[in-house]
Amino acid sequence: MNGLRSWIARRLLLGAVQTAAVVLLVFALTEALPGDAAVAFAGDQPDPERIAAVREAMGLDRPAHERLADWVTGLLHGDFGTSLTSGRPVSGFLADGFGPTLLLATLTVLLLVPVGVGLGVLAARHEGRFTDRLISSATLGVYAVPEFALGVLLVSVFALRLGWLPPTAVGYGTGLLEHPSVLVLPVLVLLARPVCSLARLVRAGMIEALAAPYTAHAERYGISGARIRYTHALPNALAPATQQLARTIDWLLCGVIVVEALYVIPGLGTVLMNAVADRDIPVVQGLAVVFGLATVVLNLGADLVTHRLAPRSAVAA
Amino acid sequence: MIVTVTGLTVEVEGRTLVDRVSLRIRPGTVTALVGASGSGKTTTGLALLGEYPPGARVTGDVAVHGTRIGYVPQHPAAVLNPARRTGALLLDLARQQVRDLPRSQRRTAARLRVTAALADAQLDDAEEVLSRYPHQLSGGQQQRVVLAQALLLGARVVIADEPTTGQDALTKRRIVDQLAQVAGRGIAVLLLSHDLDVVRELADEVVVLRGGRVVEQGPGHRILDAPAHPWTKELLAEPRALPYADPEHAGAEILTVSGLTARHRTGGARVPVLSVDRLTLRSGECLAVVGRSGSGKTTLARCLAGLHRDHTGQILLDGEPLPRSLRDRSREQLAAVQYVFQDARAAFDEHRPVLDQVARTAVRLHGAGSQEATAEARRVLTDLGLDDSLVRRLPGRLSGGELQRAALARALLARPRVLVCDEITSGLDPVTRRSLLDLLATLVRRKDGPGVVLITHDLDTAAPATRVAVLDGGEVVEEGPAEQILTAPRHPFTVSLLGASDRWGAAVRP
Repeated sequence: MNGLRSWIARRLLLGAVQTAAVVLLVFALTEALPGDAAVAFAGDQPDPERIAAVREAMGLDRPAHERLADWVTGLLHGDFGTSLTSGRPVSGFLADGFGPTLLLATLTVLLLVPVGVGLGVLAARHEGRFTDRLISSATLGVYAVPEFALGVLLVSVFALRLGWLPPTAVGYGTGLLEHPSVLVLPVLVLLARPVCSLARLVRAGMIEALAAPYTAHAERYGISGARIRYTHALPNALAPATQQLARTIDWLLCGVIVVEALYVIPGLGTVLMNAVADRDIPVVQGLAVVFGLATVVLNLGADLVTHRLAPRSAVAA
Repeated sequence: MIVTVTGLTVEVEGRTLVDRVSLRIRPGTVTALVGASGSGKTTTGLALLGEYPPGARVTGDVAVHGTRIGYVPQHPAAVLNPARRTGALLLDLARQQVRDLPRSQRRTAARLRVTAALADAQLDDAEEVLSRYPHQLSGGQQQRVVLAQALLLGARVVIADEPTTGQDALTKRRIVDQLAQVAGRGIAVLLLSHDLDVVRELADEVVVLRGGRVVEQGPGHRILDAPAHPWTKELLAEPRALPYADPEHAGAEILTVSGLTARHRTGGARVPVLSVDRLTLRSGECLAVVGRSGSGKTTLARCLAGLHRDHTGQILLDGEPLPRSLRDRSREQLAAVQYVFQDARAAFDEHRPVLDQVARTAVRLHGAGSQEATAEARRVLTDLGLDDSLVRRLPGRLSGGELQRAALARALLARPRVLVCDEITSGLDPVTRRSLLDLLATLVRRKDGPGVVLITHDLDTAAPATRVAVLDGGEVVEEGPAEQILTAPRHPFTVSLLGASDRWGAAVRP
């Protein structure tokens, strides 16, 4: 157990370093973009004197490393800094955007796990027969459709042609939960590909587990089919699926830009897009920290679950 | 009769695995199916469970009278679910038996049954075992857990498939006592084995199989003491007693190990697992290294071959120190120390013909051209009794004994000074084992033949060696001429190791 604890500590430390590296990289890349917040702020009247004035007011005339150092000092005190364009604290932006993103991610995962695992087990159970072929070809087909294409397709069919569901979340603000009909299309689009990859991974793992000697042994001793499938075979099939699930949750939490933009959902993806357009570096960096941490924590969690499901596999720090 | 098999024939793709086998099993007795690998023992055993290879055509009749059958496979770990704690199947079995009880009592009752079954299988501290994962148990514990499953099932017949293969003398002793105790409970045991010591000790009935056919069957003592069929006689022949090496022939010292300490990394710590003050090998002699599993035998072999880097001390080859890691060894040094692994099947790439893989040695270590290498490989393989059509196949088409010969050929192609053989005969049946060891003797006795380090847990295999080193807990507790060590041991561990195998034949059946 002690070994596990020190492993977690090492992983968290490594995660902090990785997050710092991401932040540095994002800072450098944003610096490298042509123009800055002052240029974006000046908008249609790019008067050089005006830009210089704005630049001075925003503190952008100071060297890059000083601005970075200031920001890092603030971060260590829990202060993400203030937005350059609006003057609001960055944490406010993050909090506002996080709500809708978290809501979408939670709903998607709640549906994703039972549907993905269920389809995978069902296909494995009927390996090579009609049900398996149907599930396998359908998942492969759906997986091949990118989010934006599926999103546009669903909007044009269910919102524009049939008029069953609203096409976007415009006008609903952040109170998305009170209007579930707004969420149906985005969640469907978010579900589509992850369900396919999860189902295929579970199927492959289940086929292997169902053919394993320990499954034959449980059958031999008269354990019921459902019990063998779900309590003996499935735990062996889930290890690779867990890793995939962690990547999916990470993808969802980091604001799925395409889907949020398509359905005009004010989540983290939208915040990120606007911040980059405005060269609002503190906001971009704040997002980078949040995304970095989410990735580190989720992967650590997935590795812990994998370790539990496949206890023989050594965990590398 | 609790099981009656009549005229059982199993065919797969025109090959007959089992041919008109009939046998009867009585409660409380041990019936042994004896035969070389591939003689149809396991196919017959699984037929009792109603399991056949895919695509099998089955004729004949298997009648099991009112009982379930327990199965303890050769590798018990394979039937223990790696993702679940050890008790998973046991608890499921127990839960089925307590369905009639009120819901509130089921849990405790099931738990009690599991603990009782584990106790019956002679597993102490059941709680500890149940809370662990299968890979955290020793091989012996795994075997007992699988036996406990059969006992909890209430099986009146238990099939034990090669329970002692690859086990050291002390472990074998324990397994034999355990199976005797199972039979003592009135349970019929079907023992599938080529380990004749064990069969001799346990079997009431012996059925000798060859190529799927029964060549002889009858009461154990009659078959074993007065075999009628020539095949049974060959199977029962005494193990080789003639020395592997010619004692007159021993030359100069080629390998010297001094002050060696090897460590293994467990968790964060580096734990010393082997320390050897001094050990030598002369050319033309055979040094057997014996000990139980985990005594450090294989680690020693791996240090010699440069496969275990984490050690201090010196290994001298012809007076020159050998680099610790095989990456730092020169071509000549690599060729000089060759290693033959226990699991020949795992030591070959399953997708390339055996001949090509053997020939690679000559290319890698002697810079031979590919044609030249193939010709030499073919010559050595033929010399070792593997004909050309056989070695052009993929490894999957060769038997275990044939592959082990090919592995020897691969090592010999390097023209080694030292040949390290790590348990190369464990898992082979007596006939195959004897022929492989005879082959090894021929090699040692050749002019310029290699010195052999023979790692083994089997004292019969060690006996014909020139010298024997006994390892226990990572230390050489005794070393000397084979005859002296095996007849007049000084160290208590050697005495107990010998004692365990001397007691064969002692009555242990309750």
